[in-house]
Amino acid sequence: MSSSEAHAIAGDQPHAAHDPHLAHHFDTIEKQDHAVRLGMWLFLGTEVLLFAGLFLGYTVYRHFYHQTFHEASRTLDLALGALNTVVLISSSFTVAMAFYFVKKGKNGACATMLVLTVLCALTFLVVKTFEYRHKFLEGALPGKFYHFEEVKGQGANLFYTVYFLATGLHAFHVIVGMSILIWVLARVLKGHFSPTYYIPVELGGLYWHLVDLVWIFLFPLLYLI
Amino acid sequence: MSQPRDASPHASPPVANVMPAVHYLNADRGVWSWLTTIDHKRIGIMYFVSVLFAFLLGGIFAMLLRIEHLTPEPTIMGANTYNRMFTLHGVVMIFMFMIPAIPGIFGNFLLPLMLGAKDVAFPKLNLLSLYLYWAGATLASVGMVMGGTDTGWTFYAPYSTSTPTTLFPVLLGVFIMGFSSIVTGLNFIVTIHTLRAPGMGWMRIPLFVWAIYATSIIQVLATPVIGLTVLLVGIEKVGGFGLFDATRGGDPVLFQHMFWFYSHPAVYIMVLPAMGVMSEVIGAFSRKNIFGYKAIAYSSLGIAFVGFFAWGHHMFVSGQSVLDNGAFAAISMLVGVFTAIKVFNWVATLYRGSIAVKTPMLYACGFLFFLVFGGMTGIAVATVSLDVHWHDTYFVVAHFHFIMVGAVIMAFLAAMHYWFPKMFGRNYNEGWGMVAASFIILGFNATFIPQFLVGNAGMPRRYFMYPERFTSLNVASTAGSSLLAFGFVIIVIYLIYALVRGEVAGPNPWGSRGYEWNTPSPPPKHNFDVTPVIDRDAHSYQEPGEEVEHVVI
Amino acid sequence: MANQPVVPSNAPSHAPSHAEEHASHGPGRYFVIWFVLLGFTGLTVWTGRMDLGAANIGIALAIATIKETLVVLFFMHLSDSHGANRLVFLVSVLFLVVLLVGVFGDLLSRAEISLPSGAPAFDSPESSAPAPR
Repeated sequence: MSSSEAHAIAGDQPHAAHDPHLAHHFDTIEKQDHAVRLGMWLFLGTEVLLFAGLFLGYTVYRHFYHQTFHEASRTLDLALGALNTVVLISSSFTVAMAFYFVKKGKNGACATMLVLTVLCALTFLVVKTFEYRHKFLEGALPGKFYHFEEVKGQGANLFYTVYFLATGLHAFHVIVGMSILIWVLARVLKGHFSPTYYIPVELGGLYWHLVDLVWIFLFPLLYLI
Repeated sequence: MSQPRDASPHASPPVANVMPAVHYLNADRGVWSWLTTIDHKRIGIMYFVSVLFAFLLGGIFAMLLRIEHLTPEPTIMGANTYNRMFTLHGVVMIFMFMIPAIPGIFGNFLLPLMLGAKDVAFPKLNLLSLYLYWAGATLASVGMVMGGTDTGWTFYAPYSTSTPTTLFPVLLGVFIMGFSSIVTGLNFIVTIHTLRAPGMGWMRIPLFVWAIYATSIIQVLATPVIGLTVLLVGIEKVGGFGLFDATRGGDPVLFQHMFWFYSHPAVYIMVLPAMGVMSEVIGAFSRKNIFGYKAIAYSSLGIAFVGFFAWGHHMFVSGQSVLDNGAFAAISMLVGVFTAIKVFNWVATLYRGSIAVKTPMLYACGFLFFLVFGGMTGIAVATVSLDVHWHDTYFVVAHFHFIMVGAVIMAFLAAMHYWFPKMFGRNYNEGWGMVAASFIILGFNATFIPQFLVGNAGMPRRYFMYPERFTSLNVASTAGSSLLAFGFVIIVIYLIYALVRGEVAGPNPWGSRGYEWNTPSPPPKHNFDVTPVIDRDAHSYQEPGEEVEHVVI
Repeated sequence: MANQPVVPSNAPSHAPSHAEEHASHGPGRYFVIWFVLLGFTGLTVWTGRMDLGAANIGIALAIATIKETLVVLFFMHLSDSHGANRLVFLVSVLFLVVLLVGVFGDLLSRAEISLPSGAPAFDSPESSAPAPR
């Protein structure tokens, strides 16, 4: 093959002035970015289906034990739940702002927003810890551990089983998301990102938004109705 | 790229081929280079070896079960052992073999080659999927060594949440292998979307790629549900709280809903890649364009989509409502329509094709036969009134083995033989290939047709003993399984021989028009020297100026 | 078959491609969405603790869906994202709904004998009158 053919594709040519972030098997950085975003959305799809089972469990047992679930949800602290909702929504806002700032090249502002997001995450976890502790003391525990006097009736322990499983899995995701954002923050502080390369911030943000999305549904189902 | 000579199966014997000096197998040396590779071809080979070990293990369990069923009374094992044996046969065969096999081996190896790409979209994730598979398989094996579980591979609650047997490592192993499946599927979807060579629009991708695409959708979206489900069972068994305990108001049928929501689409994870292989093999060995490319492509997506709506047909007698029973029955039959579309198109491809009677084609014929019969019995068991009689009998066992062994494993063997020269640069002995195929096809019939009969007569599945009147059919089935096993042993022998002493194959011993045959055999580490440009349709046998023999619709 | 490679632009492009162009808008829209979300949160808390009978669930889910749509479209930029990403999200949600509908349909129409005691039974011709305890 002629030399004119051989160098046609970016990445085939050694030491071309190509993007240092471009992997060898992608032609262009746009393709790579599209691939990485699509991969992340697929992963978010798997998370949606993961929580689907718990939402199903909630739906089924709420249907079976409507009254008991209604009473049990009244024993959850609405103020703390609402606070957590506000905290998570605000953290979604701050992480969206972090993405906005890094695209504009304002790394300092981006870092600030990420710090705020992480603080929101910590606040959420602290509030959750208080709530869990309260439930432990009351005896409102899942399954065979249930000995909560206030709510009796068939299916009462199931409410708290669903509550602990769903919020527990969600809290696990909060911890994972927070860790990812701390890692992204470290890279922002080291100056890895610029208006031409910011995709890890975007992806970390996408994961965090999912964590918020799950809570947007968990909150009314568990605390309100 | 032009062929060095006309390499069709009907050409005069070619001059001796030469193995490329450097290729992906010998490019880097040492175990560490394999364990840290990001080359999709090496990852495919490692899956190959692992999956074959799993098949051996599952096959041994199967043979032990069949030997046990030689007599109505205990033959070689006690009741508890029998229960664990069929459970582990199912767990190993499904999670360690069937789900990863064709996507993990052939999907990994071929996808970039078929797309004209240098690798999959996320090569390191690809390696991770392999490690996850190993981790999950090891954990499940540890569970087996510790005594294994006796719940059946379906882990139905409430027994699974209270069985005294070793369940937790097996569940955890399944959970981790699920992640491997998800990562593989995710990787493939992104690869197909973003790494197609210039000129390769969606309607030019090979039909195997369409099949893998549809499979990957299921892998990504269905697997998380079973991940959660086995996690819940594990938590309930170990922690004492969960959603399925009826004494605390739980509903065991809920477990079945959640379990089958994944496990039904899972069977399409197994069968869709097999169908993709068939499209490739039938086209190549008829030397003819695939009839109905678009129909086959869209029906793959159709199967994947409708497959998500049909899970309740496993639950007809569980207490599920009559309304749901009817709905699930009707939807399940719809899947048969898509499958039939494919079968008609394959047969139309064979019609007036230039058939080369080679081992892959033999397996393709077996596949067609078994898919049709297995599929028709599937429609039969999807009929609620009939399934009430057949549920939990050997009829159902025979039905799904017709598809899983008869169709999928035939396709797996066809793939193994078709792409063996591409992967290893050598030809296997065609004569022995046909001998083994005959044993396998005949042995398969002898194994599973008696099971239809004995199941219809009322023999339950998963029962340690059976009434005396079923003895002769059971003996027949066991005899057949010996033929089947013998066939597999022959394959192993001549393939290993071919690896070391086989005739060098050259880039395209079959004269196939698949894109992957445009590379040397074995391919170089980086796949292509220059990214190819695609200027013809997938597996097109149209020569310039030729008449309309090879019509594509 | 010639193997002439088509040459995509060799110069690495640093500008976002059209499809992924997150429109160069100001930060204002994020503030707006944030306040709207907080507003809906307040609304759902307020209506949630009212006794509206069967409508409670519907209202709560409707508000949650609106909030989710806002987050997905604007914070996650699905509104100016590739079609593939949108398809992925929509199909995931679709299958979640399929799971819920399929199982819920079962629950609503099961014979009373197949239901846990105390669960509402509908449409069972055998039972004379539902007997919740």
